[in-house]
Amino acid sequence: MPVSMRLAAILLGAVLAVPARAGEDPVFVIEFADGAITPQAVEVPAGRPFKLELRNTGASPVEFESLELRKEKVLGPGVTSFIVIRRLAPGEYRFFDDFHPGSAPALLIAREDASP
Amino acid sequence: MTGLFSQVAFVVGRESMEALLVVGILNAWLGHHADREAAAAGQRWLLLGVAAGLAGSVLLAGALLGFSSLLEGEREDWFQIAAAAVAALLIVQMAVWMQAHGPGLKRELERGAAQALGDRNWWGLFLLAAIAVMREGSETVVFLYGILAAAGPVHPAVSLAAATTGLACAGLLYWLLQLGARRMAWAVFFRATQALLLALGAALLMTALDRAIGLDLVPALSPPLWDTSRLLDDGGGVGGLLAALAGYRARPELMPVLVYAAYWAAVAWLLGSGRRRRPAGADLP
Repeated sequence: MPVSMRLAAILLGAVLAVPARAGEDPVFVIEFADGAITPQAVEVPAGRPFKLELRNTGASPVEFESLELRKEKVLGPGVTSFIVIRRLAPGEYRFFDDFHPGSAPALLIAREDASP
Repeated sequence: MTGLFSQVAFVVGRESMEALLVVGILNAWLGHHADREAAAAGQRWLLLGVAAGLAGSVLLAGALLGFSSLLEGEREDWFQIAAAAVAALLIVQMAVWMQAHGPGLKRELERGAAQALGDRNWWGLFLLAAIAVMREGSETVVFLYGILAAAGPVHPAVSLAAATTGLACAGLLYWLLQLGARRMAWAVFFRATQALLLALGAALLMTALDRAIGLDLVPALSPPLWDTSRLLDDGGGVGGLLAALAGYRARPELMPVLVYAAYWAAVAWLLGSGRRRRPAGADLP
């Protein structure tokens, strides 16, 4: 096979691989409803990207906020959005609904994947 | 009901504090400007910036509410990095500019150099006010829109009254700044507000850095070096306020520590060189 064709094949493979890899990122759903967060604790993989799908099912606006996760996101009532977290060291990370001060924080628990 | 009232008032007050602090300090500084005409022009630009910020808030809020996919996913992080970093730079530039020109202003006026000073920083004022209002303003608009649109257990008029109360509480800070500028010794007032503004600049820089680390643009360089969250939690209360107004972090990695130290070193150097330059011609015996 000529080098150029081999290169083209590699390039094509790379292009095809990108969306496939992005699709592989695990997604975790977190629901906000007027100050209540479900689930209260989410277990996520450490050291790899994943998505958090944030759903506001309540009647009031909410704000996902976490200094520890370095993310914040405002959601109007009925809005669903997502954030991507690139990488977390194993450990526990608290997040809040900043538009409902005083409500209980929830926890993101990052663990090393059990299966290699 | 009282709970919801205080919740709305608290959130609106907190979200508008940063903008009112920035605009309040800049306005007080301009008010002290010896040249009345230049001061009035500066305050006009400041007001224009606030107006542009409010308009931007509504547009941004629309994007955040999902009327457009403009800020979907990571784009919001990119926007926050740009807005916070530019605001931090403008704050430092503003503080250095005032330091270099503020105290010697009357003398410069007499030398007829006021004009050059007068129309130099107006775009900076405009942009800083606009960004300060827009950053938190967009969230406030989403919040209020949601509260009003939901028509939940509370009448919209009550929600509006609560929001006004929150805004008034933050407005008290603005009023105190204007009062302080007139009543306090100028040197003391200037030093105090300069420190406040520069601390806010540090907080903005840490926000930008946090987003950049979150996007993997910048490495954190280490696991958290220490953990002071037991002593002073950065998630709320006094620690949360310090995080918002001075960039406090309870569990910083090496990179945030380096950037924070570098920020204050750069500020000290810039202000120091401004001070050294000024007396050179004027105060020689």
